[in-house]
Amino acid sequence: MHSIRKILLATAFACTAPAFAATASAEELKAEVLHWWTSGGESAAVKVFADGFTDAGGEWIDTAIAGGQNARTAGINRIVGGNPPTAMQFNTGKQFDELVANGFLRSVEDVAAANNWRDALPPAIVKATNRDGQFYAVPVNIHGQNWLWYNTDVFSKAGLQPPKTFQDMIAAGPKLRESGFIPLAHGGQNWQDHLLFDAIVVAEAGQEIFAKVYGEVDTDAAKSPEFLKAVETFAALRGMTDEGSPGRNWNDATALVITGKAAMQLMGDWAKGEFIAAGLTPDKEYGCTVMPGGYVMGGDVFVFPKIDDAAQKTAQEKLAGLMLSPETQIAFNLKKGSVPVRLDIDVSAMDACAQTGVQTLKDPNNQVASINYIASPDLVGATRDVITQFWSTPSMTPEEFVEKFVSAMDSAS
Amino acid sequence: MASVSMAAEAAVPRTRRRWNAAASLALLPAAVIVLVVYLGCMVWTVRLSFSSSKLLPVLDWVGVRQYSRLFANERFLISVENIVLFGVLFIAGCLVLGFLLAVFIDQKVRSEAAFRTIFLYPYAMSFVVTGLAWQWFLNPTLGLQKIVRDLGFESFTFDWLVNQDMVVYTLVIAGVWHGSGLVMCILLAGLRGVDEDLWKAARIDGIPTWRVYLSIVLPLLGPMIVTAVVLLATSVVKLYDLVVAMTHGGPGIASEVPAKFVMDHFFERNNIGLATAAATMMLISVAAVLAPWVYARYIRPQGRRA
Amino acid sequence: MTTSAPSGRKPRHLTVDRIGVYAFLAIAAVFFLLPLWIMLMTSLKTMEEIRLGSIIAFPSELTFEPWLKAWASACTGLDCNGIRVGFWNSVKILIPSVALSIALGCVTGYALSFWRVKGANMMFGILLLGAFIPYQVFLYPLVRIFATTGLYNSLACIVIVHVIFGLPVMTLLFRNFYAGLPIELFKAARVDGGGFWSIFLLVILPMSTPILIVATILQVTGIWNDFLFGLTFAGRENLPMTVQLNNIVNSTQGERTYNVDMAATMLTAIVPLAVYFVSGRWFVRGIASGAVKG
Repeated sequence: MHSIRKILLATAFACTAPAFAATASAEELKAEVLHWWTSGGESAAVKVFADGFTDAGGEWIDTAIAGGQNARTAGINRIVGGNPPTAMQFNTGKQFDELVANGFLRSVEDVAAANNWRDALPPAIVKATNRDGQFYAVPVNIHGQNWLWYNTDVFSKAGLQPPKTFQDMIAAGPKLRESGFIPLAHGGQNWQDHLLFDAIVVAEAGQEIFAKVYGEVDTDAAKSPEFLKAVETFAALRGMTDEGSPGRNWNDATALVITGKAAMQLMGDWAKGEFIAAGLTPDKEYGCTVMPGGYVMGGDVFVFPKIDDAAQKTAQEKLAGLMLSPETQIAFNLKKGSVPVRLDIDVSAMDACAQTGVQTLKDPNNQVASINYIASPDLVGATRDVITQFWSTPSMTPEEFVEKFVSAMDSAS
Repeated sequence: MASVSMAAEAAVPRTRRRWNAAASLALLPAAVIVLVVYLGCMVWTVRLSFSSSKLLPVLDWVGVRQYSRLFANERFLISVENIVLFGVLFIAGCLVLGFLLAVFIDQKVRSEAAFRTIFLYPYAMSFVVTGLAWQWFLNPTLGLQKIVRDLGFESFTFDWLVNQDMVVYTLVIAGVWHGSGLVMCILLAGLRGVDEDLWKAARIDGIPTWRVYLSIVLPLLGPMIVTAVVLLATSVVKLYDLVVAMTHGGPGIASEVPAKFVMDHFFERNNIGLATAAATMMLISVAAVLAPWVYARYIRPQGRRA
Repeated sequence: MTTSAPSGRKPRHLTVDRIGVYAFLAIAAVFFLLPLWIMLMTSLKTMEEIRLGSIIAFPSELTFEPWLKAWASACTGLDCNGIRVGFWNSVKILIPSVALSIALGCVTGYALSFWRVKGANMMFGILLLGAFIPYQVFLYPLVRIFATTGLYNSLACIVIVHVIFGLPVMTLLFRNFYAGLPIELFKAARVDGGGFWSIFLLVILPMSTPILIVATILQVTGIWNDFLFGLTFAGRENLPMTVQLNNIVNSTQGERTYNVDMAATMLTAIVPLAVYFVSGRWFVRGIASGAVKG
């Protein structure tokens, strides 16, 4: 027994000693940033932040964990466990609500006020990053979530015009199929099903109903005929995918469009990176269209856990300022494939699709807050289960779907 | 620890009680772990299932609200159905295949060691790796179906992985692949313990080999089979990684399982209340199934000789 | 339980039966080897060939590039050092975790089998039930416990976690093994005046080799393959290989390099595989010696 105790103690001591040493030397401006941007293009984008911080005299410590859920779990555990990173990524929206409410995060209102963030950012983004009138998160990008990506060559071979609406897509289906193409490249994972569904709701039921359903959990909106029409469109798209669709990763679906096996894919603007990596140019080999109804905005933010250490606080303020500076915004979003959250900067350096995105966003009527901005993670999850079940069950009718959808809303409210 | 089982203890006084300070001390770490971690976490989980906790645990009281939501949740019900189906087929599949492999390997075959290694190695792989490998192989546009079609059998279809009604069986296939080697090992060890005389007697009586295996050897392996079932069952309840790696719970929600329900709601969906309610239901089911066995086998007999 | 010779029917010359036996074993072997074969072949192909060819075909052009890349230069985030960093982290976690969890299971099993301690069986019963609880349930409270002790996110933390979750099965193994040892040995040692520890070290431990081997094999594979605990408790300095594998396999934007993914996967599986290949024989022997009786 004694021997085991000794071993345990010895191990414990030997292993914690380096940890103490590490915290002791944290006098300089060090920032440990936890995020889930692990892929090639994403890493290049993070590097913009890292380089900027290094140039400002700091040291960037990169903690990348693949998969949003994995990273958030690890990060939240560390924050609650009292060993937080300097900054941590979330999706723009309600994911960090309770961390704010329980006093785990610090406000960056000082930095925001000094840099006039309120004037530079779209109102929906300000709303999604503010709690009680203070900035608790730094938004870094806007990801458009309702882009249609298509292979121009496939459409000309089939003798069709690229679609502009979901009805166009449905109409093009049979002809594309006859010509030997998969009409719609889709990855049958629940979040992808949800992304497609939301784009249809915005396009066919309209922004208002979308905001009522997710933002106000208004079941009447979900029972409206407009919503039902969107559900019917969603149902009609089910038959346009291929057999290998269920479980497929989104980028494997994009690859089908790139290689000309499939005609189109509805995906966020992160898909653009795939086309660029394959050496294709927009409007030539591939096309990008924002679907009707507005620009569905997703995106990422960084939050800053409360830390007592003064050097860490300085590092957090430095990071916050840096992430939203105009130059960093352009450079970062060029790599990330998203568009800057600031609408007051020159985007002529960006590609055609991104410029379309920024142009669309300039009109406030087109700024549609995506589900993550306005719905609790609980509601997102509950509706997601219903959507993905409907997508994979051809025998389920739109009416049945609405019924289940409404009860999911009720349960999560 | 409390002397809960004093009565049973007194009933079996096989030798004199030897209380020993060193022995108690040696059990202390295990006792602390049981009290703090196992019992503590169980109590904590059950308590939170009656709260409205979202992202962070709060100790308010909402009665059985989480439970009524849980039982109205189609995904949870499907998860329960799936885990029962998977559990039965997986354990049965591993036992049957494991037993057959053990019997066949026991026929004094050449390169026995090689066969044994081949059948056992999957157990060394993690469920994540197992899931990825089988996902590839069973994907209709990449794997088996494509291979057979490329060979000229154009109408060959094997789409279980993307078929809502069949997807659970693909999990069973991958699970059996992973676990039957262990069963083989355990049963092989059992077969080696069967008395040689029994075989001689059976031969003299002219009983066919398969009858001997089925009617005489199999019952002898009883304890071994129990062990195998216990080991397999622990992985059934915890089934999570394999599903995530192989099907993501899809198509739709057709291959969801309870542990994934708990995990998703605990973290991604910031709904600790509902997650702990689901975990509590799992806990109760496991306890209901196991408690009689654990009690009869381990608690009641009070240490065979102490 | 001591004989280890095959006990089935005596071998005869090549008959229909024998052919049947080998045919069954061969078909089973194909079923078991297929996934490994696909992974190995894919990891040795170029991406072009993967895109065009069949997944079971032998590569027309062998390349070891994916293996090198996976080991030394695959990227996760800004860090492009492959999974070799994770390999050494996993080793650092593995050795103390395996040693301590076996030591604790061994002592606990011994105490439960030969000594009477009040409530010990009750404790064991709860421990057994604990083996069936999904790990996710423990994550959050454990984080809080470790945070208050100041151990959270350290090597010691992940080692203790592995000891905790290894305890039920380890205790069960050793307890059952010791239950099969002749009680006279123990009684004689008691008569000679042996105490708790001296009997353990001088009498019981030397007889425990087979079960120690079984326990080591189970723990090495279990701990090496762990992802969840490593991610949650190890801290960023000690992330095990499985976490890095996930980073590499699950994150590639742009072309998914299946060959590198597969090579990384196989590299991650190499330690437990090696353990099985080297010690498979002892595994069966260990089990045969009564280790896993019901």
